[in-house]
Amino acid sequence: MNICSLIVHTSPDRGAEVSRRLETFEGVEVHGGQESGKLIVTVEDEGETVSPVSDTMNALRDVEGVVSTILIYHYGGEESMEEMNREIN
Amino acid sequence: MKLTRREFIKSNAITAAASVAGVSLPIGSLSAAEGDDGIRWDKAACRYCGTGCSVLMGVKDGKVVASQGDPDAPVNKGLNCIKGYFLPKILYGEDRLTQPLLRKTNGKYDKNGKFEAVTWEEAFQTMADKWIAARKEKGPKGVGMFGSGQWTVWEGYAASKLMKAGFRSNSLEPNARHCMASAVGAFIRAFGIDEPMGCYDDLEHADVFVLWGANMAEMHPILWSRLTDTRLTKPGCEVHVLSTYEHRCFELADNGMVFEPQTDLAILNYIANYIIQNKAYNKEFIDKHVNFTKTPTDIGYGLRDNDPREQAAKNRAKGKLTKISFEEYAKSVEPYTLEYTSKLSKVPKENLLRLAKAYADPNKKVSSYWTMGFNQHTRGVWVNGLCYNVHLLMGKISEPGNSPFSLTGQPSACGTAREVGTFTHRLPADLVTKKDDHCKFAEKTWKLPVGTIPRANGKSDDADQSDISGKPMGPTLIHAVAMHRALKDGKMNTFWVMCNNNMQAAANMNDESYPGWRKPDNFITVSDPYPTVSAQAADLILPTAMWIEKEGAYGNAERRTQFWRQQVGAPGEAKSDVWQIMEFSKYIKVKDVWPEDLIAKMPEYADKTLYEVLYTNGQVDKFPAEQVTDSRGNKYQNDESAHFGFYVQKGLFEEYRLFNSAEGIPKKGHEMAEFGAYHKARGIRWPVVNGKETLWRFREGYDPHVAKGEDIKFYGNKDGRANIITAPYEPAAEPPDKDFDLWLCTGRVLEHWHSGSMTRRVPELYRAVPDAVVYMNPKDAKQRRLRNGAMAKISSRRGEIICKVDTKGRNKPPEGLVFIPWFDAGRLVNKLTLDQTDPLSKETDYKKCAVKIERA
Repeated sequence: MNICSLIVHTSPDRGAEVSRRLETFEGVEVHGGQESGKLIVTVEDEGETVSPVSDTMNALRDVEGVVSTILIYHYGGEESMEEMNREIN
Repeated sequence: MKLTRREFIKSNAITAAASVAGVSLPIGSLSAAEGDDGIRWDKAACRYCGTGCSVLMGVKDGKVVASQGDPDAPVNKGLNCIKGYFLPKILYGEDRLTQPLLRKTNGKYDKNGKFEAVTWEEAFQTMADKWIAARKEKGPKGVGMFGSGQWTVWEGYAASKLMKAGFRSNSLEPNARHCMASAVGAFIRAFGIDEPMGCYDDLEHADVFVLWGANMAEMHPILWSRLTDTRLTKPGCEVHVLSTYEHRCFELADNGMVFEPQTDLAILNYIANYIIQNKAYNKEFIDKHVNFTKTPTDIGYGLRDNDPREQAAKNRAKGKLTKISFEEYAKSVEPYTLEYTSKLSKVPKENLLRLAKAYADPNKKVSSYWTMGFNQHTRGVWVNGLCYNVHLLMGKISEPGNSPFSLTGQPSACGTAREVGTFTHRLPADLVTKKDDHCKFAEKTWKLPVGTIPRANGKSDDADQSDISGKPMGPTLIHAVAMHRALKDGKMNTFWVMCNNNMQAAANMNDESYPGWRKPDNFITVSDPYPTVSAQAADLILPTAMWIEKEGAYGNAERRTQFWRQQVGAPGEAKSDVWQIMEFSKYIKVKDVWPEDLIAKMPEYADKTLYEVLYTNGQVDKFPAEQVTDSRGNKYQNDESAHFGFYVQKGLFEEYRLFNSAEGIPKKGHEMAEFGAYHKARGIRWPVVNGKETLWRFREGYDPHVAKGEDIKFYGNKDGRANIITAPYEPAAEPPDKDFDLWLCTGRVLEHWHSGSMTRRVPELYRAVPDAVVYMNPKDAKQRRLRNGAMAKISSRRGEIICKVDTKGRNKPPEGLVFIPWFDAGRLVNKLTLDQTDPLSKETDYKKCAVKIERA
């Protein structure tokens, strides 16, 4: 599966509204940063060959109010979803 | 608190983004991630461009599973571009080569045979037979090696030894000839020493940024994001962008200028003229630190001898500088008035004036950036120099924010191709084969007899160097474009292409490259991880262990040397370039390639192999193999050390340091730290003196080579002064005419790197930009009854290709010019381009030739 995190730049006064728009995409969550206009966003998918995360990220760039998107972290392991959802500690 | 593996990884991802953004997240939104996710993290320098970002690679069970921008890296500060983010995937393309492949028929090598898997022994034995024969029969130019600005530092160094000292041939060139040679030529002519004086810290210090033929937004996205930050946060900061077509950088430009190809020469002279006319120049600086010179004009276009354009040139390939006075210099730029330059360049007067004023303002710090627009230019050395002229007139150089800066396209074009010197005319650390004493220094360092290394003119101590061919050595230099010509003409018979895709990259494929490679007498070897266009046109393909499948070192554009450890093993029998170079050398004996009189100087070498003489000389094999371990106790494999029995990378690097850091070296200023220091640091910028890196060269207080009270010293030149070199506007080699009525410019796009041999194998990047298109102006399209998305046939005097038309995309050419990227192996733009070069730097101009376009 793919898990990635991004910083999505918006103007600070539009942080909340842009967050709501982003979260309408499947697999997208916003974790904070609305006040500074630097949204901390994760995008996940469940492991197709061509990861839908790349399409989602491209789509995010075109969302109204988004100035830029920057990728920070990518996980792309090939284990099963069952393994990913097993408790580790 | 119980966590799933998914939640755990996700919380790491969130933490990484929040820390780069400087955002503190509300407690509770982040799970307290504790424990071990089983991923081993370690730094590596990115595999792609010359920016030199550091990335963290996460390895689990011998495979890279995760990546992250390195938050501790001064270059990219935790950021990553889209290519960097998909980096792990370049290792795992479905068609990775895993065994040597030789063309054979009925069990024997056959030029027209089909590729069959062979052992490394058979591959190297076949190759060695061909190389020894070609070397004996055709002399030093009978064999050739074409390496790379993507080679690690020690791979380039090992190759230089193999060719220059082992085979006694200067037929060694890197693909960097196609991208950096003009920049190098200009550095040497102006400053007597290669590479930029400034560094990326200028991106935060400058008030004005000027882009000359650099699409940083797409080609150097991380540097562009730093520049953007400065533009948006620093009051009064402005960005000027010059290009022959509109691209993404224009979105941020305060002063965007689209100019007629080749007229950058005139624009720079106009700026110099403006500075002089308005007496804005820094008189004290030029009196103390600058010489004025001129260069011969009408120098041709680096084409074949029989080309009428060459026969018409008065001073073909000449470049010797003559001193002139300031007044003579001023007079030479006088014709470049605002009116004349605006008319010639098609840039409106107000834009040119605004640009000139920015350079001429003593209170503004100006950083100029350029890449292939300047370098891939038949007057590339000139135009690089004209930009230095402007900075030198103002004294805007060698201090924070005032920085003429040549960006690079490859990760180690600087660290390997230039610093190690894998060019036909160079030796390590700025030494050159035209100087007998430089060659003697190299021979002494390498423990070889005097006269081993071929001199540029084939003479040592004024006597002809003897050769295994029985004839005197003769002139030995041969540049990249000339190598393809020599293959076609049968003067070179064996060619080893390593870590690049020159069949796709070299200009004029139909008339020069392909006929040369497929000529019956020629034996072509290509080492690559993937079956590229070049591999498919070869006779022997060697599978390569790439990037983090070996321990490596790259040097970026700001003189930063960065190391990484081997992170994972290579698939199948794939081996690194350094392994291939050293292992191949075991198949050649000294007496196969050296003449008797040379061997007589060291008879104990006669029956030795090149491997023994070059790599087990007591220096390279000095350090025993060791378990590579990082400061956290993580352990790493090192396949080369395991195979050869000593710490290969350390031995090669420490011997290389004898050229740049030992006592009594011929050229100071390239000092590097000892091997172990680089594994601990996020790169160190040379010169490194007393363990300290250097950010700005040539200025007291920053550069340890400039003594107290000297202020500024351009110590690469004997008199400590930099050269202002006047050069005029001269037209391009093949401007559009009535038959071929459009300019063609080629280049890259963000998603793909170079010929696409790696990035096109990443499904996400392939899907983002699958095929090359021809970007054109809607009016030009309409005139040819083409619309956006239609298929068009693009033809030049040399060939044709078919592409989809794009009139609405990211690049917006003016009327009269089209742009086609070169990453696409299915649409080979180099069937169209002309094999014209800068006659001084021998670098190809891929930016200007004439084409026509019709409906397909």
